[in-house]
Amino acid sequence: MKLIFAGILAGLLATTAAKAEDMVFTSWGGTTQEAQTKSWAEPFSAASGIKVLQDGPTDYGKLKAMVDAGSVNWDVVDVEMDFAIKAAKDGLLEPIDFKTVPKADLDPRFTTDHAVGSFYYSFVLAWNKGAVSSEPAGWADMFDLKKYPGKRTFYKWSAPGVIEIALLADGVPADKLYPLDLDRAFKKLDTIKSDIVWWGGGAESQQLIASGEAAFGQLWNGRVFALEKDGADVGVSWNQNLTAADVLVVPKGAKNKDAAMKFLAAASSPAGQAKFAEASGYAPINTKAKAEMPADAVKSLPDAHVDGQINLDMNYWAANRDAIAERWYAWQAK
Amino acid sequence: MSVETEQSIATKRMPAGLGGLLPALTLIGLFFVVPVLALLLRSVTDPAPGLQNYTALLGDGTYMRVFFNTFLVAAVVTIVTVLVAFPVAWMLAIMPPALASVMFGIIILSMWTNLLTRTYAWMVLLQRTGVINRALMATGIIDQPLPLINNLTGVTIGMVYIMLPFMILPLVGTLRAIDPMTLRAAALCGASPFQAFRRILLPLSLPGVAAGGLMVFVMSLGYFVTPALLGGTSNMMLAEMIAQLIQSLLNWGLGSAAAFILLIVTMALYALQLRLVGARRATGGI
Repeated sequence: MKLIFAGILAGLLATTAAKAEDMVFTSWGGTTQEAQTKSWAEPFSAASGIKVLQDGPTDYGKLKAMVDAGSVNWDVVDVEMDFAIKAAKDGLLEPIDFKTVPKADLDPRFTTDHAVGSFYYSFVLAWNKGAVSSEPAGWADMFDLKKYPGKRTFYKWSAPGVIEIALLADGVPADKLYPLDLDRAFKKLDTIKSDIVWWGGGAESQQLIASGEAAFGQLWNGRVFALEKDGADVGVSWNQNLTAADVLVVPKGAKNKDAAMKFLAAASSPAGQAKFAEASGYAPINTKAKAEMPADAVKSLPDAHVDGQINLDMNYWAANRDAIAERWYAWQAK
Repeated sequence: MSVETEQSIATKRMPAGLGGLLPALTLIGLFFVVPVLALLLRSVTDPAPGLQNYTALLGDGTYMRVFFNTFLVAAVVTIVTVLVAFPVAWMLAIMPPALASVMFGIIILSMWTNLLTRTYAWMVLLQRTGVINRALMATGIIDQPLPLINNLTGVTIGMVYIMLPFMILPLVGTLRAIDPMTLRAAALCGASPFQAFRRILLPLSLPGVAAGGLMVFVMSLGYFVTPALLGGTSNMMLAEMIAQLIQSLLNWGLGSAAAFILLIVTMALYALQLRLVGARRATGGI
């Protein structure tokens, strides 16, 4: 029965069949994947002759289905780092071949046995200048309904970020965040719950802030960067910015593993990382990349705001992902 | 004697008929029955054999709230859709045919527009800084934006709009089949227009209302896009919960169980409707 099920799934999922020498790269779509295509896939194809087909968006259910069914059509996938750690533990990922992928210059914070960094980003506090009475200074202001009435926007899904913000706003010191005090975090979030508008994807967060639908919120720094580039009247506070990372993984049983490893080497190289960082505003995970970037592009990276920067604990999240998610969605649905 | 011959014809025909149905049956078997069985199997075997997924779903306050929400939204949407669709359908039924086909075209055209596009259009209209709130505030009717989105109001508006054609089309068919002479006869016998509506038109149109209503209700039960975009997190419906369980939590056992419960409820409703409409047909003499 399981075989039949697997067979059907395999049939349904075989939408992106690649030729033997081609490979498939899957990411989240939008401006991020465009930048990845331009910075990584195109130069890689030109140099190696391996064609990189684009697919997306990343879907963890689909990834698991492919691996379970033994019919994996994705060769390299951009995933959130806490998922990558959990997925490696569940046996869904191939180990990285560090003979092909040079490891020496990769930021150890975002490199594991089963993943190399894709880019890293910060959650920052951003606001629409026309919609706030005064400029908020830090996370605590997002919980101050008297000084800042109106809607505020947070990331909708159970993921590193919002819980930490609530705890920081409640006065927990940055070095005492973990293990997360969920009771305290939800109690704090309860105080503003009816004034929260949730964003489920990057474009939505930009739309909410740019239109003033939400006066301010927790955004990915790259999305604020894009808003500023488009001339939107937004302000940003890097105070206690929270870093998290996307990583590149190879699903277990990927058909073009060798090509995938070569692609990882190109994507994580100083040149690939520098190009992507310049296009997206997200930070490179190769320590040599910044030397290859124009000075003004380096200024808008999370690296320029390490003062008071907090690293979200991906290992803690990987270990507690399911338990936190259960409480998160139960709380949201209340 | 004649009954016997009819039966023998019927039995003779059966195998031939089944033979012709074979491709269709294979298709349904392969792409519907087998996956549903696989779903059922997964719901009682993943992560371990047993009914723990079902007890988890039915014993948990959050999941029960999502079930309740799902039925609440589907019921509200169905009722509002019937109320809006009935006058439209009646108008279409009595309109000159040429004009009616133009109107039909307009209604069907709306179904061709991408669902996501239509839902986003509602977002633009309904949000706090949206067209409706701005217009109302500019004219001084309200001074605070109305909460039209991220709540039950938003979901209802968005879904009724999408469901209307599914209600209007069967209803027009039913209404057109009603002999207009019955209404004239009612008027001749001294019935007021309201009486004629309540005692003639409404009962005669009930099969159409039931058919359309059930279709709308069942479709609403499994709806994903519109509630996800126009509803708030506290209006989460079953489809969104299943997507979350499958995609983000990778809890396929629980997701399968939730999907199977939804399927069973839907089938039960369908069976109920067959029985109700069938019974009414038998007694109503349609």
